[in-house]
Formats: sequence, C-alpha cells, structure tokens
Amino acid sequence: MALRAEVLSLFRSLLRTAAKFSDYNIREYAKRRVIDGFLDNRGLTDPSSIAAAFADGKSQLEVAKRQAVVYSLYAPRIKSVMEVESP
Amino acid sequence: MAAAAASRLLRRALTPAVARRRFSTAAVAAETPPSPLPSATGEEDAGMVSMKGVRISGRPLYLDMQATTPVDPRVLDAMLPFYLSRFGNPHSRTHLYGWESESAVEAARASVAALVAADPKEIFFTSGATESNNISVKGLMRFHRARKRHVVTTQTEHKCVLDSCRHLQQEGFEVTYLPVRPDGLVDLDHLADAIRPDTGLVSVMAVNNEIGVVQPLEEIGRLCREKGAVFHTDAAQALGKIPIDVEKMGIGLMSLSGHKIYGPKGVGALYVRRRPRVRIEPQMNGGGQERGIRSGTVPTPLVVGMGAACEIAMKEMDYDSRRISALQERLLNGIRAKLDGVVVNGSLEHRYPGNLNLSFAFVEGESLLMGLKEVAVSSGSACTSASLEPSYVLRALGVDEDMAHTSIRFGIGRFTTEAEIDKAIELTVRQVEKLREMSPLYEMVKEGIDIKSIQWAQH
Repeated sequence: MALRAEVLSLFRSLLRTAAKFSDYNIREYAKRRVIDGFLDNRGLTDPSSIAAAFADGKSQLEVAKRQAVVYSLYAPRIKSVMEVESP
Repeated sequence: MAAAAASRLLRRALTPAVARRRFSTAAVAAETPPSPLPSATGEEDAGMVSMKGVRISGRPLYLDMQATTPVDPRVLDAMLPFYLSRFGNPHSRTHLYGWESESAVEAARASVAALVAADPKEIFFTSGATESNNISVKGLMRFHRARKRHVVTTQTEHKCVLDSCRHLQQEGFEVTYLPVRPDGLVDLDHLADAIRPDTGLVSVMAVNNEIGVVQPLEEIGRLCREKGAVFHTDAAQALGKIPIDVEKMGIGLMSLSGHKIYGPKGVGALYVRRRPRVRIEPQMNGGGQERGIRSGTVPTPLVVGMGAACEIAMKEMDYDSRRISALQERLLNGIRAKLDGVVVNGSLEHRYPGNLNLSFAFVEGESLLMGLKEVAVSSGSACTSASLEPSYVLRALGVDEDMAHTSIRFGIGRFTTEAEIDKAIELTVRQVEKLREMSPLYEMVKEGIDIKSIQWAQH
C-alpha cells in the first residue's frame, strides 16, 4: 500500500532525475510528463490501481536514472539554441 | 612523519574522485565523465557550430518530426541490453541467446499488433516503411499477375509507392493515379469509379508526410471491400498518432515505420491480413525468416525498439495528441497574428495536428530557409537541391508555383516545448517580414495592385 509520503518521495525523485538529462527536449518532456502523470492520477482511490500506478512510477524512475547517465555520456558539446540565451 | 603525511597527501591528490567517495550515496556513476565525443560537425569553437557555410550559436530547435523523430529514452533503454549482452540471433534455436532474442522479437510483434488491433501473426518486420511499401505493391500484384492487372493510387503518395507503381507499369500492369481535391483529400466518388473488376490493389496513405492530411480510411476500406480490391495504406506517419483499427478500416496491407514514432531508424513492419487471406510474393528471398515473407535475420535490438515505441505510443496517444493540437494552434495563431498572406496547405479539419505546412505569399522560398537556420524545418519544394521543381504533392493540390516554393513544413512532436514554438514563431515572422520589406511585389500589393493582372514587359 503506497503511503502518501512514498508517493511524494517518488515524485521528488522523478523530478530530480528528470532535471539531470543533458538534452533540452528530453529534460523538459520528463519534467512535464512526471507532473502531468501525477496530476492525472491524483484522484485514484482503488488500492490496486494506486499500487499499479506506483509500481509503474518506480520502474520509470529506474529507466530515467539509467538514461540520464547514458545521455550525459554522449552529450554534444554544443547545446541547443534554446539553452544558449541570446543577448 | 612528514614523509607519511606527504605521501598521504599525494595519494589523495592522485586518487580519482569516485574511489575517494566510496561510501557516498550519490547514485549517478558519471563523476569523472570520459572525454567528449569526437565532433561530427565542422568546427565547434567558442560555442559556435559551423557547417556548410552556416554558423549558429547552438543546435537548432527541431521542428521536422515528419522527416524523423528523436528516439524516446524509454525506447533506448529497452534496446540497449540487446546490443550489450543479449546479442543472439533470434533464429538460433539451440541456445539461450537465440531463445531470449526470439522471445523479445515476439513480444515486440505483439506490441506492434496491439497498436493496430491486429493479430501478431499478421505483423512482419522489415527494414522500414519503404520496404513494406515495395513488398505490398509489387508483392501483391506479382502474386495475382494472372487475374489482377490494375492498381489505383493517388498523386500524393510517398515516392516509394509511386516508384513501385511505375515499375509495375514497366512490367505491363496499369496504374491509375487519382488526383486529389485542393484540400488534399481523395474524392470517394472518383475512387469508386476508378476501381475495376481487375483492380488488385488500392493504395492510399493514411496521413500524408508533406501536408499532414488524414484520408477517410474507413470509407475507402468499405469501398474496397465492396469491390473486392485489397486496401493498402502507408501508415508510416499515422502509427501511434491517430487510432488505427485494421478491422474497422478494412485494411488488407499496411506499412509501418519505426523512426516516425520515436523508435530507431532501420526498422519497420508490414501488416498482412489473414482473414480473408491476402497473398503476396516475397521480395527478399533467402532463409525463409518471417514466414518466408521477408528473409533475413530479424534485427532484434531494432525490433525491440519498435515494439517499445508502439507500447509507449499506445499509452501516450491521448496525452500527446492533446498537447500537439494545442501547440499547432499556438504556432498557427502566433504566425497569423503577425503576418498576413499565410496559407495552410491541405485541409485544416482532416489533419494530423503535428504537421503544419504553410506557404508565405510574396516571399522567396530559398531565402526564407536560409534565414531560418536556427529552426530545423523542411521545405515543401526541392529548392534546396539542384532542381527548382516544387513538390509534387503541392502541385497535386493545385498550389501555384510561387506559393509552392515558399512552403515550410513545421513538424511538432512529443518533445516539442512551448518555448520552441514561440521561438519558431518569432524567427519565422522576423525573416518573412525582412524579406517582404525587400520585396517590390509586396510593395505593389500593399498599394492595391493586383499582381495577376500585370503585363510584364518583355525586353
């Protein structure tokens, strides 16, 4: 049974990991998708669906952690035009 | 004493950071990242990229999703083990490497099938939608060459379908290239008239890659079923973006592509209906893999990637399509608010929202593209190549040559942000205004002169 504290901790971990992506588009998508995902599932009451969503979130966290590393290993030297702030 | 302290200091200075922080709870391993990749682009000095005579301050923002899409990190995560330790050939039946590879391929097949409401036995993996199109068109007609001699297709199909049809014509088949309405949709009455008793195949693509219009697949499927022709659709741009149901749409053959749905390049699939059975002649002969339809080792990592991409697409279709529709509206309204003379090529209602093809009046296409180097977009015409031919799709829509030359295709996708759309609007508007200011034709229009009525003097 996923307690509120666990869900919040998962949320924070996902956002922290999302912020680590070196690619602008993936990073923005990950942050946005995590927030929207948790917002959409806010109203879940049935314990089995809560557990399923929580398990899904945990497995996504593992994927995100691995991929954040992979993306940073191959990050291009030049960043996206969106990150280079023009004067 | 001092020597011991000195040696301790030296050892600490020389030990890499990772070893020192052995008991740290920092999860990420890349403390000392290995040296960056050798640069593929020209020179990368002082944060500028210089290639083909163009200098930009950063990697362009990507708005060309119809050309290809970035690989989703979840897809990459699914693929990597099959490049590392699980590298077996799925057709090796005698050891674990083969067994695990085969089971991964079959799981991917089921994912692809689920996305289109098909049976996994009806999905065959190929090298891409181009190959699937070739197999569909040539394979079906060659199998039925005795009794079916006619193919019906549209003028806006992808080059590989048109080229395959041209090839069939050289073999003696007849092909009807149906014109489309100015909004890009095929006229169902014309289609009904064009289908003959000896028509073997009707090929109409689901979502056009250049203008983004969505054809009425259910009606076309019903028509084909009534008349006894097989309905083939190139769904490369449609997969995972609009709901596809092979039963409801009466589809007999369908081409799918991996790299348009955030999967890897080099893989695609072909759907071949089993009930009623659609028979085709294989175009790749060999060891009989994929039930003899397509011989050749099935590339496990790529296929697993495509399967993962389809799974993700099934879960994310609603979320993505809502977001992309909002972004398209933002882009179109943003541009229209600041510019006049902007024409959308293709129907606005029957359209996949992630594809926006716009023509800007009184602007020359090549100069527009040259000024938009910080946005990665594609143009409707081939004016960046040697010939100045406008795109055949726009020509089929009846777009004037000058408008066809200034067409730009904006491709919005899952990873596009609002900030990117706003920046694209800003850059496009700025460039168009700059060009229009220099344009004498635009000046004349502003004064109220009708361009079409001018008699240009011959010198």
